[in-house]
Amino acid sequence: MESAGMKIVIDDRPVEVEEGTTILQAAKQAGLHIPHLCFHPAFVPEGSCRICLVEIEGLPKLELACATAVRDGMKISTQSPRVREARRGVLEFLMADHPLDCPICDKAGECKLQDYYQEYGLFEGAFKEAKEKRDKIIKIAEKLILDRERCILCTRCVRFLSEITKTQELGVFRRGIHSEISTYEDAPVQNNYSGNLVDLCPVGAITDTEFRFKTRTWFLAQSESICPLCSRGCNIYVDYHPGFTRIPGTAKIYRIRARENLEVNGRWICDFGRYGFPSLEKDRGDKILWKKEGRDTIMSWEKILSLLAEKLRPRHRTKNTSNIAVVANTWMTNEELFLFKKIFKDDLGLKKIFFADPRPGSGDGFLLQAERTPNARAAKEMGLELNPVNLDDLSKNTDVLIIFGPFLADLHDPSSLKNDLDKIRTKVLVSSHRSGLESYVDFILPASGILEKTGSLTNRDGLVQKFSAVCPPCGDSRPEWSVLIELAKELRINAGYYSRLTQPEVILKEMGKEIAFFR
Amino acid sequence: MIRSLGYFWELIKGSLITARHFVVNMWFHTLKLFGIKTKRRGAVTIQYPEQKKALASRHRSLQRLLKRQDLKPRCVSCMLCVTVCPSECIYVEAAEDPDPDIQKYPSTFIIDLSRCCFCGFCVEACPEDAIRMDTGKIDLAQSTRQDLIYDLDKLLK
Ligand code: SF4
Ligand code: SF4
Ligand code: SF4
Ligand code: SF4
Ligand code: FES
Repeated sequence: MESAGMKIVIDDRPVEVEEGTTILQAAKQAGLHIPHLCFHPAFVPEGSCRICLVEIEGLPKLELACATAVRDGMKISTQSPRVREARRGVLEFLMADHPLDCPICDKAGECKLQDYYQEYGLFEGAFKEAKEKRDKIIKIAEKLILDRERCILCTRCVRFLSEITKTQELGVFRRGIHSEISTYEDAPVQNNYSGNLVDLCPVGAITDTEFRFKTRTWFLAQSESICPLCSRGCNIYVDYHPGFTRIPGTAKIYRIRARENLEVNGRWICDFGRYGFPSLEKDRGDKILWKKEGRDTIMSWEKILSLLAEKLRPRHRTKNTSNIAVVANTWMTNEELFLFKKIFKDDLGLKKIFFADPRPGSGDGFLLQAERTPNARAAKEMGLELNPVNLDDLSKNTDVLIIFGPFLADLHDPSSLKNDLDKIRTKVLVSSHRSGLESYVDFILPASGILEKTGSLTNRDGLVQKFSAVCPPCGDSRPEWSVLIELAKELRINAGYYSRLTQPEVILKEMGKEIAFFR
Repeated sequence: MIRSLGYFWELIKGSLITARHFVVNMWFHTLKLFGIKTKRRGAVTIQYPEQKKALASRHRSLQRLLKRQDLKPRCVSCMLCVTVCPSECIYVEAAEDPDPDIQKYPSTFIIDLSRCCFCGFCVEACPEDAIRMDTGKIDLAQSTRQDLIYDLDKLLK
């Protein structure tokens, strides 16, 4: 097949595109936006909403940009008076029965119907008939609510469930003006990707109970991040509200949405990740504590780090580090794992290095992986062995134990954990979440949650993805990378080396120099 | 030395201004007493707070939330007042109303009066005419900040 491009002109802009490209995609390549509601790049075009009409020179009727392939020499106009008039007409029909609930509609602010009305509509409604009443609160899935008045029957939801998840729980029922989206015989939408319907629906017809009525979209700051809940590393948006002065507890993350990355997750994320984020904000530890003779003393970072360094330094100096044990986890970022390896494996020469990670779940064969940790691949690439914790090995002849992360608590039953940890004199916990481990240790250092950190993660396919902090650290917490660097400085090992590593980006660059994989 | 002299000079200047106002106003009041009509009139002050002036019909005073016939708040928690408020002093939490025609009602509605600048934008923004600033209450000073936080109960009264 020859790859000779098709030369076309869109709004006086010449573009060359491949054969088979639709007008809408060609316009996108030319940097022009053609309004569309039912078209979605992941699905076969449906051509039901008719908002994408364009004028093609030499053709008597307007054509659908989403479903018409380009032909060589085509001259297309996307903004001619005829086109604009047609779009206005289409909008007027789409809104003929639309409730215009905008003030209480969760889509308002990012609703395509609102946007296009602003751009092409601005008509006075000419319909005299009363708007048709339809059901407004229909539970179509555990977390999804359908509003039939707001639905514009674009069938994106139907096509998602038949083309992507292939579960086909929704369909268009009845005919003509009575058409409506519905589940079959009340069997709910039940798959691990149902949350995507909320992102997909161009209007506010499908809302999820997690976000419904909680806030308005324009209050939210949108940040790009990586989902930490499995090793796939799906790209996400995190929508965060900075909170109201003087009303405590109002700063929070309101929702997670899929971010397009065709290499990793396409345009979707699973419900496990989407609705798993409240667990990241719950039970956070935010104070630096020293349990001195059973009494909790609140400490500063400087004090506690120098205290710890005092305990480790003599052992390092006498090269007698065999009684130090550390437990890491692969929720730590690339940078943190690298520093961890540098300090504990290379500089201190520890033998007892273990990993405590969340228990694997089951994958679903699409995005969700059984491995419920985001960065195991990085640890392997660095040459760290993911030894699971064996309590006997951990406590035998151990004097100092440093635990990173809360996961150890879920892996062993409390009585044996307490039994074995009691044999160790000094125990340090660096953890973002409260887990029950606090009661067995002497020093508690609060770590920032993964959404409060900047750094990078390596997904299961070896893709290194950078992300930056979504919100400020909780309480006194600090990210592990900064704790590790400060600790190294206090220990006075390799001082020149660690004092250069001031930011995650610098650490990543340094990693690239030392480990070819991260280049 | 010169600076402290300047201070006294400003004091004298200020007293002279006060004296000028007193004399001018007394002059016009005296003329009025004798029935002499002049274009300008002497200034009149009222003894607030013992004496109060009637408020203009378009004044803005303490906010109130209006009720429906069934005594539930009219507010549908659209948070447009929260959006428009330049002082960021309104906080609304919504809940699901069992009535599908209402859908959204405020489970929390807080106005932090210590920040409110009485611009009245919240009233303008409300699509439901659920909030008004026509209570006529303008003496709102309190001695603690907490007393200036008006919640749903206080605003519905
Ligand atoms: S779907 Fe869009 S236009 Fe319709 S009520 Fe919601 S925000 Fe308004
Ligand atoms: S519910 Fe949303 S996505 Fe589905 S057909 Fe209606 S408007 Fe389209
Ligand atoms: S009057 Fe102005 S400052 Fe006060 S609550 Fe309303 S919008 Fe905010
Ligand atoms: S604008 Fe009106 S209806 Fe909307 S939240 Fe404020 S008071 Fe309630
Ligand atoms: S986007 Fe082309 S018809 Fe809907």
